Amino acid sequence: PISQSQAQRRSAGETVVTKNVCHQCPARCGIDVYTTDGRVHGIYGSMNSPIANGKLCPKGHLGTYILYDPDRYKGPMRRTNPNKGRDEDPQFESISWEEALDIVAGRLNNLRDNDESHRFAILYGRGWGASCAGLLGTFGQLYGSPNTALGHSSMCSDGSMVAKGLTDGNEAYNAYDYKNVNYLLNFGAGFLEAFRPYNYLMQVWGHIRTKSPKTRVTAIDVHANATNAAADRKLLIRPGTDGAMALAIAHVILTEGLWDKEFVGDFRDGRNRFESGEVIDGDTFNQRWVHGLDVWWNEELKDRTPEWAEEVTSIPARHIREVAREFGTTRPAMAIFERGPTAHSNGTWNGMAIHALNALVGALFAEGGMFYQMGPSYGPLPASAGDYMDDHAQRVRERIASGELPRIDMKGTDRWPLARNMMQEIGPNHHKGDPYKLDTVMFYLNNPIWTAPDSKAWEEAFKDIFVIETSPFPSESAKYADIILPDHTYLERLQDAPSYPFEGWPITTLRTPAVDPLYDTKVFGDTLIEIGKRINGSMSEYYQALDNTENVLRHLAEGFRDNPGSNGVNDFESWKREGVWYKKPYHWRQRRGVFYEWDGEGYNRRMSPSEVREKLLRTPSGRFEFVSGKLEQYADYVAQEFGIPAERAGIIQWVAPEHPGGGDLYFSTPKTAMHAEGRGANIPHAISLLQPVMGGRRTVYLEIHPETARARGIRSGDRVKIRSELGEIEAYCRYFEGTRPDTVVLPMEHGHWAQGRWAESRKPGHSGEITVNRSDRISGLASYYTTKVSVERA
Amino acid sequence: MPKWGMVIDLDKCTGCQACTTACAMENNTLPGESWQDVLFYHEGKYPNTSIKWFPRPCMQCENPSCVHVCPTRATYKTDDGVVLIDWNKCIGCKYCMIACPYGVRFYADEKPLLEPDIRQAFPGSDGQMWSPPFQNPESDWSKGIGIQPRGVVSKCTFCYHKISKAPAGVADLDEDNPDLVEYVPACVRTCAPKARYFGDLDNPESKVNELIANKRGTRVFEHTGNKPQVYYLGEHGTVPKFEPQFDDQA
Repeated sequence: PISQSQAQRRSAGETVVTKNVCHQCPARCGIDVYTTDGRVHGIYGSMNSPIANGKLCPKGHLGTYILYDPDRYKGPMRRTNPNKGRDEDPQFESISWEEALDIVAGRLNNLRDNDESHRFAILYGRGWGASCAGLLGTFGQLYGSPNTALGHSSMCSDGSMVAKGLTDGNEAYNAYDYKNVNYLLNFGAGFLEAFRPYNYLMQVWGHIRTKSPKTRVTAIDVHANATNAAADRKLLIRPGTDGAMALAIAHVILTEGLWDKEFVGDFRDGRNRFESGEVIDGDTFNQRWVHGLDVWWNEELKDRTPEWAEEVTSIPARHIREVAREFGTTRPAMAIFERGPTAHSNGTWNGMAIHALNALVGALFAEGGMFYQMGPSYGPLPASAGDYMDDHAQRVRERIASGELPRIDMKGTDRWPLARNMMQEIGPNHHKGDPYKLDTVMFYLNNPIWTAPDSKAWEEAFKDIFVIETSPFPSESAKYADIILPDHTYLERLQDAPSYPFEGWPITTLRTPAVDPLYDTKVFGDTLIEIGKRINGSMSEYYQALDNTENVLRHLAEGFRDNPGSNGVNDFESWKREGVWYKKPYHWRQRRGVFYEWDGEGYNRRMSPSEVREKLLRTPSGRFEFVSGKLEQYADYVAQEFGIPAERAGIIQWVAPEHPGGGDLYFSTPKTAMHAEGRGANIPHAISLLQPVMGGRRTVYLEIHPETARARGIRSGDRVKIRSELGEIEAYCRYFEGTRPDTVVLPMEHGHWAQGRWAESRKPGHSGEITVNRSDRISGLASYYTTKVSVERA
Repeated sequence: MPKWGMVIDLDKCTGCQACTTACAMENNTLPGESWQDVLFYHEGKYPNTSIKWFPRPCMQCENPSCVHVCPTRATYKTDDGVVLIDWNKCIGCKYCMIACPYGVRFYADEKPLLEPDIRQAFPGSDGQMWSPPFQNPESDWSKGIGIQPRGVVSKCTFCYHKISKAPAGVADLDEDNPDLVEYVPACVRTCAPKARYFGDLDNPESKVNELIANKRGTRVFEHTGNKPQVYYLGEHGTVPKFEPQFDDQA
């Protein structure tokens, strides 16, 4: 096209780089945002971010699409169509922020006046920090509701947290010293796809696979994927049976004498008496940092041979033995796991069995092992909420404390005594009016009407609730919304984000706006503060004192003055400039069975057993518990829910998974590397690269083993129906020799009926619609991978 | 004058496609117009199924067949070893696409991979095929940089708008060096496992030459005589056997 010839063009404007934090997964990678003439045109990892180190995962670069998404909401709106449903156009009309906030506050004040403030709930998803999700609990305390900080963790990965809490006393995700590990045993964590922090894990991968000695990796999953294809050994296990494999590995480690004697202890005379099927005399074994090893062996482990596990898992016994010998003889070694083993009815049991392997090889708090995360040194907020509680707030607090007023999700009641949250129960509970009906609900970075298992039940349940949606995108929740109070996108926000567990030392990041907000939006923290200012009584004074989120952040940063970061950050301005405050090193280290604390120069101060119990192994015994003291306290509940005799309730043991749904094929719905939580569904570039192994560039495919398909008359490429007792969805299938013949795999991504022009109506159907709402009775984690389905040609 | 080359270590590559998206955003390519694609293959029977992946930029050949066949001399080799396209001269005849053994040239004036067409969401102006608000301010049609007009072939430029500004005489453009990071091609800069290296193949001191020598660097399709300036390391350093897949039907 000579007719269109164009000379070299270069923008006249100067390019500005601002610090921000990626918003497309929980990892909190620092990003450098490149802006020229007021337009953002590039995102790269920040070199000074300890997580990003100048790098990004495939999602990170696509953030500009989120800022310039043509389907964004452009300001606050009110619904005019009273009918709600998938196919109902809400017929939104624009209103001013003043109007919108007054409507919400008026509603909340009415509820309070009628003594029904508990019927207001805030459901949140990817909360970031003290300046957004961190404000939710206080809001409920002052307003008078147990329901303003309803987290999504039971629809995320609570299984691993709870399993760790029951065994080593830390109900949290681990921090990991991957750089120094020599053996990685991975049970169903998408290490090279979706495990957090993904970007950093790939940096680690490049290191551990080229260092000397090269780290050996065994990866266990239900289908071939990038993680196990890159590993040294791939084992395709029957879904939900990882715990049986872990128990058999433990059995071999003990019978072959491969456990870490300095951490675990040893027989008093040094002679190994662990023999398959034979009990030991507990008095002959001197346990060091573990509790209940003799009981665990005698009551459970002695019969958990590789041959037994082969029957349960379908993994050949010789492979289990090989893995156990490698894992038991290579140090440092660690076993990691996430939703693969835990999103099942027996998830906590699976998790405890896997985590027990870490105790057996002494990985806890060791170099090349795993720790827990320290929190940042934040300064106090400008006001203390306790000073602003009026009579109503006091009365509700007493009703909550006495148990008279439970949370809507029944977390912490005898229905879910050990769960951390139970978001998947909120829709059904409201629908039944049990424990009560909600009146008004607000969503923050959360969309359970689409993401919950049995999501269609929520569509029915939420028709009679006043819904406040704060997403700037036309989400499924927005379709049900009565009012839209749109948030900024992350490149427009000022917001803190302390890190998820990373390497143990504290780290907190800060988003700085790259551009002024494109539209009439408001950062969620300010929306909440503005509503708070409009609530009657002393609550409003508290929010007057907070004033706005920038003020909150400035107060938080005051904590850095006395505790400057390793990168010199010591106030708000330097935090903004660097985008991150962090303080090395981690304070504790276990070396050869002795715990040390950092004394300012090295891990030199030897810790007493009581200090270890207080700070590191926070169990009743102060040791790693193969017989969980906490679970023993809930023996009646365990007996009732699992049919386990009360005296065995605390023992890490094999519990078979349950598979509702009525089908004959296990249904697994993993996330892929391009899955940017809810925000990726409308990004054209993400969709075009979503499922590379299967060629999913416009859709995602149901992976089906050729024999499984042929037996049903299904050809590769056919449109198929996937059916459970909840209903059916359609998908296109592809033959894949990497998927177990008893399992079908469909990445959880498409099937949106809202979210914007690229997301809407994109096949296949949404997996949640046919996923039975069944949860692990201990952790409460939704059993996303436990439903069985049938598949036939459409 | 350097002779720029790239080394890709397939033992470290995790197949994540960050190279693909970094390139897409740096160069504002369309969905499906992946100048830096990653190809996936799988072979073997259950349970011994292997998955392989192969990241594929333009090979920037020393002896580029695309240049030989171009009737308008629109595509050319620069003095520093990069194959570029002058969009002012390209007539979109696609001879170069047929001649290229590596399938790394694109003609984007076709049915979009994804509906709705993103070009309609961000309609073109100033002769551009589409004009998103987030486009890179760097543009030079004589080098195939920026968003193309309609009717031309596009391809990887090794991020020529970056590397051509690098300080003279530097052996490697290492993204971990803060003084050089802005000159590093997008795909190399973002690669989390550091599977990519970029440097001067004519400089005996360069890391790329060291890796090619010590880790048995190989080039794809040596038999064509194209002599790529992209080298691969690792056990899977050849293009895996091609097995046709079924067409997308969604």
